[in-house]
Amino acid sequence: MSEKTETRSPAPRPPEPATGRLRVLAPPVTGQEFVLLGVIAVVWVLLGLATPAFVSAGSIQPLLGAVAPIALIGIGMTVVIITGGIDVSVGAMIAVCSVIVAKLVLVQAGLGLLVALLIAIVVGGLLGLGNGALIAYGRVHAIIITFGTANIFLWISLRLFNSTTVNNIPDTLASLGNGAAGRTVGVPNSFLVTILLAAVAWVYLRHTAGGRHFYAVGGDPLAAELAGVRVRQRVLVAYVLTGLLTGLASCVVVAQGSNLGQNVGNGKELAVIAAVVIGGTSITGGRGSVLGTVLGALLVQTVASGVTQLGWRSELSDLFVGVAIIIAVGADLIRQRARKR
Amino acid sequence: MRSMLSRTAAVVVALSMAATFSACTKKNSTAESGGSGSAAGGTIKVAFVPKLQGIPYFEAMNAGGKEAASKLSGVEWLYQGPTSADAAAQSDIVNSYIQQKVNALFIAPNDPDSMAPLIKQGVDAGIKVGTSDTDAPNSARELMVLMASAEGIGQADTDALMKAMGGKGKFAIVSCGETAAQLNQWIAEIKKYSQSKYPDAKLVDTVYAGEDVAKATQMGTDLMNAHPDLKGFIGVCSTAGPGVAQAVQNAGKIGKVLTVGMGTPNDMKKYLDNGAASAGVLWDAKALGCLTAWAGQQLAQNKQLQATQSVSECGLDGVTYDSSTKILLMGKPLTFNKETAGNYNF
Repeated sequence: MSEKTETRSPAPRPPEPATGRLRVLAPPVTGQEFVLLGVIAVVWVLLGLATPAFVSAGSIQPLLGAVAPIALIGIGMTVVIITGGIDVSVGAMIAVCSVIVAKLVLVQAGLGLLVALLIAIVVGGLLGLGNGALIAYGRVHAIIITFGTANIFLWISLRLFNSTTVNNIPDTLASLGNGAAGRTVGVPNSFLVTILLAAVAWVYLRHTAGGRHFYAVGGDPLAAELAGVRVRQRVLVAYVLTGLLTGLASCVVVAQGSNLGQNVGNGKELAVIAAVVIGGTSITGGRGSVLGTVLGALLVQTVASGVTQLGWRSELSDLFVGVAIIIAVGADLIRQRARKR
Repeated sequence: MRSMLSRTAAVVVALSMAATFSACTKKNSTAESGGSGSAAGGTIKVAFVPKLQGIPYFEAMNAGGKEAASKLSGVEWLYQGPTSADAAAQSDIVNSYIQQKVNALFIAPNDPDSMAPLIKQGVDAGIKVGTSDTDAPNSARELMVLMASAEGIGQADTDALMKAMGGKGKFAIVSCGETAAQLNQWIAEIKKYSQSKYPDAKLVDTVYAGEDVAKATQMGTDLMNAHPDLKGFIGVCSTAGPGVAQAVQNAGKIGKVLTVGMGTPNDMKKYLDNGAASAGVLWDAKALGCLTAWAGQQLAQNKQLQATQSVSECGLDGVTYDSSTKILLMGKPLTFNKETAGNYNF
């Protein structure tokens, strides 16, 4: 017992040598992020040369708007995957949050923007809390729990849709949409919010003890526990965070159309996980960054838009995204092996 | 250890409870006409398995089928579908209707090829099996209830768009799945018909967005960027129709880029009102459901279908039957605009 108390409050240590510090804290921009930035830059230049309209405002603005919901949820998913977990319920969570916002809050109650945002975020947070509590305290693997809750969420959303499409959604959320009302100095507001939140998350994960603890949990939960990290609480926070962000992203989804069908959010969990993995976050936990995730989402949407604008066959974008995921995971494995040596 | 076991047990119980709940609700909402077992008292049971339940289009068909059952004496209408357009889940439902020995069974197959063996099984069990809305051409089905011919739909789409575009200019098609045979037939007809009837119009691209409105919108946006002189879109499925209209609205190109979509009237209404869509093309889904129930009764009573007939219960005239293909054709698609979209409630 006395041993344990000792490990929880470690005695002050002598400062570590500089090389050790570098190995603990990854560089501000990692190798994979540089590669991604380079790939995106090259693809944009090539697309700009092939079809000049690609680099026009009319093309880039909607592209950033389409990236926003995936990248927003991706911030939370990055944290979840860093802790060694995964959340496959975010697609169904989008369905619950967006039908509540579109049908109950906007169409039926006619409430305003801030109320809609608040309700969506709270609902998302509660769903995330359900996931987090089951995973942190139930000790069943995250993929099983979130697969289960995904089906429950889906059921909730289908009951709320009640076999009808939500039509004539008022443009209360237009400031998050893809129209002219949704842009500030030419940039979609939804994307600005994404960048802002990603920046906050980046600083938090990198430079605060609470943020570093997520990495510790994913790296080795037992060691983290012994080092005094509150593992369960960190895991819980990761899923709640994902829920909150999914609620916010749902408002962006609702804002982008005037109808809402019951298949909303369908398959989006895979799009989000793809962005996180392409962004260089290790699927086994312990490493990753939200900057990479935002870049990953941007690359996926760039490829999809590029394929359409070049007049290539639509299914080619699936191929390119698949190859990008394999390369990203392969690069991660190679790095892991190099580190072990 | 014990606490972990009990936790796991709690999770399992919670999950299975939720599963039971959802199963109950599904049953209640679908087989509400109740009653099981064989056709007691000469009641003819006509079952319809949609691609998925819960979407307005198939719910409208269900409403039509129910209405027909109330008008036709001795017909009971059963309706159940999977909650997503999943071929395996649909097969389970078809299977259960075969076990229940309904008299007539209609299917809108998600995967026509994988449905064929089950259709054979149903026919062998003495059930009259047909398809409605979507065909399974290489199967033992005894009837296909078709809303409109591919030619009819392709022509209606093309005529509606060309009327808005003045018969000339570049246009593009946004579709759902690349392997959807029916959509591909319509696209082929649009290509053929626009080339012969509107030589000044040019189809520049056909893209596939899946059943995703946001993706259809994004692809529509990309196409407008790739072809700055693009003048029109046809969205040939229920998510692409509203999707391309939203793209035009987002780009502020209402009136410059014209769209025609195969969305439901309710989905298209807002875009028809603000001018982002010029017209919608669909058929009366309720009447199709009604005709399906009627056809089920005819089949179960072994009545011969006429080459041309009126089905007054469904308000349909000129319903034609082709005995070589075994296709019962409801009629022409309907083209609706902002004035007439309000006449339909789906």
